[in-house]
Amino acid sequence: MREIFVLTEHRQGQIRDVTFEMLTKGRELAGKTNTELTAVLFGKEVKNHAKILSDYAKNVLLVEDAKLENFNSEAYQKVLSNLIRERKPLLTLIGHTSFGVDLAPSLAVSLGTPLATDCVDLEFEDEKFTVTRQMYGGKVNVNAVLRKAESYIATVRQATFPVEKGAPMNGEIIEVPSPLSEEITKKRFVEYVLPPPGGVDITAAEVLVGIGRGIKDESNIPPVEELAKVLGGALACSRPIVDKGWLPNDRQVGSSGRTVKPKLYIALGISGAFQHVLGMKNSDLIIAVNKDPKAPIFGVADYGVVEDLFKIVPPLKSKIQELKG
Amino acid sequence: MDIIVCVKHVPETAEAEIKIDGTGKAIEKNGLVFDINEWDDYALEEAVLLKEKFGGTVTAITVGSEDADSVLRKCLARGADKATRLTDPKFEGSDGYAIARILAKVIKDLPFNMILTGTQAGDDGYAVVGVILAELLGIPHATMVKKIELNDEVAKLNRELEGGLEEIVEVKLPAVLTIQTGINEPRYVSIMGTRKAMKKEIKVLGLAEVGLGENEVGEAGSWIKMEKMYVPPVEKQAEFLKGSPEEIAVKIAEILKAKGLV
Amino acid sequence: MNFELTEEQKYIKSAAKEFAEGEFKPEIAREFDQKHEFPSAIYKKAAKLGFIGCYFDEKYGGQGLGLLENVLMEEEFCRVDSTLGSALFAGLFGSDMILEYGTEEQKMEYLPKSAQGEWLSAGAFTEPAHGSDVTVMDTVAVRDGDEYVINGAKTMITNAPIAEYAVVLCQTDPEARHKGQSLFIVKKGTPGFDCNELTGKMGIRASLLGEYSFSDVHVPKEALLGEENRGFYHFLQFIDVGRINVAAQSVGMAQGAFERALKYAKQREQFGRRLADFQVIQHKLADMALDIESARLLTYKAAWHVDQGQIIPKWACMAKTLATTNAMRVVSEAMQIFGGYGYLADYDIERYYRDIRISAIYEGTTEIQKNVVARILLRE
Repeated sequence: MREIFVLTEHRQGQIRDVTFEMLTKGRELAGKTNTELTAVLFGKEVKNHAKILSDYAKNVLLVEDAKLENFNSEAYQKVLSNLIRERKPLLTLIGHTSFGVDLAPSLAVSLGTPLATDCVDLEFEDEKFTVTRQMYGGKVNVNAVLRKAESYIATVRQATFPVEKGAPMNGEIIEVPSPLSEEITKKRFVEYVLPPPGGVDITAAEVLVGIGRGIKDESNIPPVEELAKVLGGALACSRPIVDKGWLPNDRQVGSSGRTVKPKLYIALGISGAFQHVLGMKNSDLIIAVNKDPKAPIFGVADYGVVEDLFKIVPPLKSKIQELKG
Repeated sequence: MDIIVCVKHVPETAEAEIKIDGTGKAIEKNGLVFDINEWDDYALEEAVLLKEKFGGTVTAITVGSEDADSVLRKCLARGADKATRLTDPKFEGSDGYAIARILAKVIKDLPFNMILTGTQAGDDGYAVVGVILAELLGIPHATMVKKIELNDEVAKLNRELEGGLEEIVEVKLPAVLTIQTGINEPRYVSIMGTRKAMKKEIKVLGLAEVGLGENEVGEAGSWIKMEKMYVPPVEKQAEFLKGSPEEIAVKIAEILKAKGLV
Repeated sequence: MNFELTEEQKYIKSAAKEFAEGEFKPEIAREFDQKHEFPSAIYKKAAKLGFIGCYFDEKYGGQGLGLLENVLMEEEFCRVDSTLGSALFAGLFGSDMILEYGTEEQKMEYLPKSAQGEWLSAGAFTEPAHGSDVTVMDTVAVRDGDEYVINGAKTMITNAPIAEYAVVLCQTDPEARHKGQSLFIVKKGTPGFDCNELTGKMGIRASLLGEYSFSDVHVPKEALLGEENRGFYHFLQFIDVGRINVAAQSVGMAQGAFERALKYAKQREQFGRRLADFQVIQHKLADMALDIESARLLTYKAAWHVDQGQIIPKWACMAKTLATTNAMRVVSEAMQIFGGYGYLADYDIERYYRDIRISAIYEGTTEIQKNVVARILLRE
């Protein structure tokens, strides 16, 4: 029986959420295509991970090698391409993460297998493999068809598919000997680094005021920070603000920043690219202010205001101050 | 240190309203402002900074129509030495794979120590071109690069991971590095640079000069083909608060009060 | 005949646009406006990138470009922000006369530092007793051996409080009126040369204004700029170029106000419709566009003639008259479209409205421009 592969992503002893999201989606696809769901796991002494995965997949292909201890696209590509050549899965799912982005495209080229990246949905219908992707920062969706092939590879956007455990599958753990006979020479993992923490832990704040591109200039930040203070909260931001050096890296909310879950998140001038939304969508109450009525942020907010943030901040601050006496 | 930078001419859509055009497969481009892809902008700056530090040359390459000359001129004005535009009607409809294949075919005959490009493009967001290019050229790569340190034949890099974490990796040169935003601060175009750029020739190559067949580019040479473009369905929509800014402020304050947040 | 800008001119315009949009934030502009402060840091940045004094030769720190390129940059800067744009483009005021009439030594001493943004300059012509009438000066320079001794006063001098040097128009032959005037370069710190800042300006407040007093100011004879007793004629040529610059500034400010009004008209709803859906607003917008485009054409034409080697006073005066008159109308209409909000400082139109007003006054009032144009027409 043919398989659907899900490449396990793990880091510092933890299987990352995207793996379970892919396994959930993979289970659905395997059911529809009459294939078996197989989790693929590479690492050094990761049998405990294999055990967890066996609840989610029919097979767990385990390759253990000291050279696979940390993610390294060169090593991963060699091992994974071997497995794909050997077992010819219908589809290989990889997270559209820092790891997946570093691995999937070159893997696809080396195998001559069509690849679709950053998919938010996938569907097999009448021998046709269709994916849904987003373009222009999430402002439009696209349905795209992959060139017909024996086998496909897709990278999947994080936090898109909900995780459902379902009945344990008691998958068989199949140990595959590592094909890595030689050293990995072109690329070497050195270490993980966490940028030094700043003064504020946004993950602990009950109220966050998030700012994005709409803030326009660094000099506009202080009045917004005052609003955050009046609300008893802290200032957070989307990626462009950190890129410009206006706020330190630990204020960034989103996939490459922190994930937050405050009681109140006020998004000011944030368009709502999925990377940011990923980091704040589970906040209890979300209020968004943006000039563009079609900004994706209004799809996650409870309340929306289509207006220039600079016109809302001053009266809002004084109203809150009034309420507080 | 000879560096090739691959750049793309894209519409700025972060703050623009987007409409889908009559074909149902593309957006209405009229009225949109085009510029260098944001990620490529940082890649270009990084290349010029490296050149200023280590000497050598920077060559900018794009696959695009004549309009993309404005991006190449910008690269030249900001410090690139040479520019090449790969243009052919047959290139239309190319996905990231076909684009990388076109680039690889041209780049393989050029001298270089490093190829830089943006991690992704703001329009299609494939995030594949740099890595595919590396594989086609048979050289290593690293994506989402936030810092570059060069020692002899090895580049020591910080790669951005999730949750604020980074990893340090070493990659042997020559290599393709895809650059993440925020790695540097892109400079303005100067008048001196602009004048210098105007005196330079932009080399233009078509399908035949590139040396690929028709079925290796465009939709025929792509892995994925666009079927339909549409505005994402609204799963949940915020309740919109209307009125003057003062009225809206009162409404928000009331909501916060009702939820016990003030 | 060709109305297209060259490729290079288009890129120059886009470089100016990118810089101005990156640097001129409304909040920053408001601050300089409120504090009556010159934006020195931005000025230096702009100069390093070649936006200041682009028409100076490269050996004098410029880019060897023409007046039209300067006009394009100035227009773009003033479009993005009226206060900062106008202040930046006034930084070199007066130094153009050194470029035109200076000796090699004078050029090398003053121009590179000016074009690189290190020195600001001033042009001191107007006197308390004679505003628009420059045919006679109360400020007198008397030859004394190898020196000249200057006595008198000048007022309404842009950059005076911060300029490193001033080009001063003096009477050297009091009997000969305008045929007895000469120009001198006077450095800041010369004994007897003092400045007093004039405050309370209505607009263009990021550009500082002052008055100079001269009491027995000794300058070496090498400070004489151009020919002795030809100062008035040198000044006339200079002011024609200045007039074209004011026209460019006005076109830019008008364009900036227009774009803001257009955007607002498309967003703002009244009586259940967008402002832009009312015919009365549509007509306003069409009239504004007409005012701007006609002024722009005449301004470019005047600048183009200068670049062809002919400073034609008629075109300079016509361009300034049309551009400033039209721009005042455009900015006023923009405020009308914004309604009450336009009157508030938060909506930059208020600043544009104050900043544009001076354009019909300085570098010769509109009335003076018309005098010149009429005189030429009657003579032709």
